[in-house]
Formats: sequence, C-alpha cells, structure tokens
Amino acid sequence: MISRSNSALLIVGHGSTVNPDSSAPTLKHAAEIRRREIFADVACCFWKEEPSLRDALLFFRDGTIPEVYVVPNFISEGYFTRTVIPRELELTGPETHRSSGQIWKYCEPVGNHRGMTELLLRRAHDVAPEISEAETSLLIVGHGTSLNDNSAAAAKHQVEKIRALNRYGTVLNVYLEEPPLVSDWLKLTETRNVVIVPFFISDGLHSDEDIPAMLGIDAADRRSTGAPSQLHGRSLFYSTAIGTDPKFADVIIEQTETFRAQRLEPQSAS
Amino acid sequence: MNGLAQKIALAKWMVAGLRRIGQISITVRKDGAFSLTHREDTARDDFTAYSAVEDAAEIARFDDAGKYRPLKTAPNLRHGWQLMIGDLSGLRLALDLFYPGRLAAFLAEENGLLETTPLRESLERQSGMYRAAAKIRDEEADKLVGNFCRSDGGCLRTILWKRDGEGAIASTQLPPEKFDPQHDQTGLAEAVVPLLCQEACNLLVAEARKMVKSEGVASPAE
Repeated sequence: MISRSNSALLIVGHGSTVNPDSSAPTLKHAAEIRRREIFADVACCFWKEEPSLRDALLFFRDGTIPEVYVVPNFISEGYFTRTVIPRELELTGPETHRSSGQIWKYCEPVGNHRGMTELLLRRAHDVAPEISEAETSLLIVGHGTSLNDNSAAAAKHQVEKIRALNRYGTVLNVYLEEPPLVSDWLKLTETRNVVIVPFFISDGLHSDEDIPAMLGIDAADRRSTGAPSQLHGRSLFYSTAIGTDPKFADVIIEQTETFRAQRLEPQSAS
Repeated sequence: MNGLAQKIALAKWMVAGLRRIGQISITVRKDGAFSLTHREDTARDDFTAYSAVEDAAEIARFDDAGKYRPLKTAPNLRHGWQLMIGDLSGLRLALDLFYPGRLAAFLAEENGLLETTPLRESLERQSGMYRAAAKIRDEEADKLVGNFCRSDGGCLRTILWKRDGEGAIASTQLPPEKFDPQHDQTGLAEAVVPLLCQEACNLLVAEARKMVKSEGVASPAE
C-alpha cells in the first residue's frame, strides 16, 4: 500500500446549491481515503458548496505538510479543470510552489483514469449480472453540449474503448442534451436487454429524474426492487451514476500516483 | 491549518470554554465523549440519536422543513438530534461537516494567517456565467450583503472582508457586531468559536449576478 505521510489530498467537487446529493459521493470517497490513513490529511472543497475552493487555500497554510495533491472529482477536462479550479486555488501549472515552500500538485480529473472503462463495465455487469452481454445493448449516458466541458467527448472515448472489447452486442453513447438522445433508446437499440450507465459524478436531478423520464421508467421503483423495468417488450437495467461507485476512492488515490509517475518520467529520461 | 492542527486547536478552545459553534452546543461528557445538539435543544430529551461522524453531513443537509441547506452557516440547522462523538478527531471532522472550513479559518485567524479578499476582487475574478456579477453597483452590493448575509435569517458568519480595496464596509445595513469575531451571531450571547468569513461565498456571487441580470431584464418593462 502506498503511504503519503508527507502529503495532503484535496478532492475538488462541483457541488450544488439545489441538489442535495451532488457532494455526497465526494464526501464519501474522502471519508474512505481518510480511513485508510494514506495521506497526512484529506480534505474536500466545492465550487458550489462549502468548503469553497477559496477556503481550501487555508487548509494547509501552516506549511507543515510539504505537498498537497489536488484531484478534481470531475468526469472530464474542461472549463472547471482548466479555468475555475486553477484560478480559485491559485495554481500556476501542474506544480505550484507556495511561498512557504509547499508544493501543490494538480492531478488529472478522475474521469481520465485508465481504469474508468473497467469501472463502467463492472457497473454494467453489476446492474444486470444474469444476462448475456452479447445479446445486450449498453448505453453510456453523457450530459452533452450544453455544459462547457468535454464530458461528451470523454463519454464517447469510453464507448469506443468498450466497443473494441466486443463484449456487448451494441455499445452506444446517448446524451441528455444532444443527439443521440436518451429518449431515442428504443430506436437506437434492437436487443431484448438494454443496460444504461450514467457517466456522471453523482446521482441527482439528471440520473434520478431526467434520464429515467427520457427512458420512460421509474428509477426509484427500479432501484428499490432491483428488477429491470419492462418497456416495449424490452428489459431496461438502469444503474446509478458511475461516480457513486466505491472504487472511485481508489481512482482518486491512483490519480495522485499517476501524477507522480508522469513527473518522474521526464527526469529519469534526461 | 491541517486537520491535526485544527484538532489541537479545538482541544484548546474546548478548555477555554468555547463550546458553542454556530447553532451547535458541545457538551463534554465524563467519559471524554462529546455530545452535540442544536443550541435551542439543550432542554429537550426526545432526540434522534446519531453516533457516526459522517451523520453530521446528513443532519446538516436539510432544515426542519426537509429543505436542502445549500449554505451550511445559514441559521436554519434542524432540531431534534443528538450526535455522540467518541474523540477529538471525530469532533473535528463532525464540526467540519456541520460548518465546512470554519475551524481552519478561525485557526488561521488566530495564527495571523487569515487573508481576506474584498468583494470587488472576488467578483472581478469570476468568469463564465458569473462574470456579470462584477457589474453590481456599490449601493446594490450594500443592499444585497445587508440582506443576504444578515445573521437573523441569512448567515451566521462574521464578515471580515471589505467591499473594495479602499476598505469600504461590506454593508452599511449590517450592525457593527456582524464584523466582530467576539460576538455570538445567534444572539444568544455566549462564548463561541466564530464562523469567520474571509471572502464572499459562491452563493453571494450568484446573488450578485442575479441582481445584475434581473435589473437588465426588469428595467425596460418597468
């Protein structure tokens, strides 16, 4: 197990002023990582909730911890990871040296993690363990273009990787706000079974209400019974948002490992 | 102001008699455990009992009416719960879930490390949809802060930031004690761990944007 007794971990989430579930996975992953006692300190901050990103500037100001790893709990690179987080946390690049000598290390968002494809597949399997994957359509749901980020591109990238594995009969991207829309699932698929995994960080309005409404199912009912929704002669297996997977705690930790490995590579090559 | 430093400071504050934070009352039991309740609930005994640190986030999430609390320092913490915490580490984490980032802010202030940011600077830094917030006029900002941040119904933080780089007061509509860390913002006049506000929160920035936007829409119609 890795040990980072000289490092703090700061997980950055989006949060929400209207959705009570938005920050829950980030807080949960932080609690799990804290429990493992890998880092000297583990903290969270949010764009739209407390503590704010600005508050986080205070968390390690005493300088007793030499390095702080910043991991965005975001699905993709984009406006938040490239503009908002660096600005609010006063980050000047991958490594920011504070006047105290402390170094803040800005890692890639969790959605970029190499194991994300495996997590999506595992989530798809867990929600429908008994079915034949070859006779199943797997739909990965992204938000789409209205968000000023690359979440759609990230979802597309995942679908391409899953499709290349030739496990599922069909693997498709669907979106909330751009074609192909979630609501077109019936036209887009031909298989008896359809598995739907939201490529989102948290459950909330989109995964609890918008996507089920576009699919025509009752998500609450589906989750309480565990049985698939039967619609138009098809079985729909609907998962919770990928970001609620407990494995995300490992993903967050591994993003700090990846950062370290990437920073070491150029040095060892020279 | 890392977690360990906060924990040590918290022990010191407890010993110094600072056993109130925001709307929370902390009682130190004989076995060394901590009992947390709503300050207005100290006389009641019909509590829903909680014992996990993470329960603090759950308690803090919704008000008495079951409505989501986007601002944790708003004076609408729900009633009727008792959270038992076994040790100081747990107490530190629980309080940080009730009032995120506030222990760090108070400790930073005690150590002379708390930097404040004027409202204008916070607004001018914004991008995207919040860029418009910077257009708020001084008199509008004065009114907005006077209403949104007021302790009775708005927010229990003690404002330390100024309106601008010239040192203009955050709002002339707020009483002098709103800027005094010694003052108990609940009005219960007890010794408290203050909820210091070193910079305008995102909710205030969003309200400033709303005010600018509504003005643009409303004016022609009026």
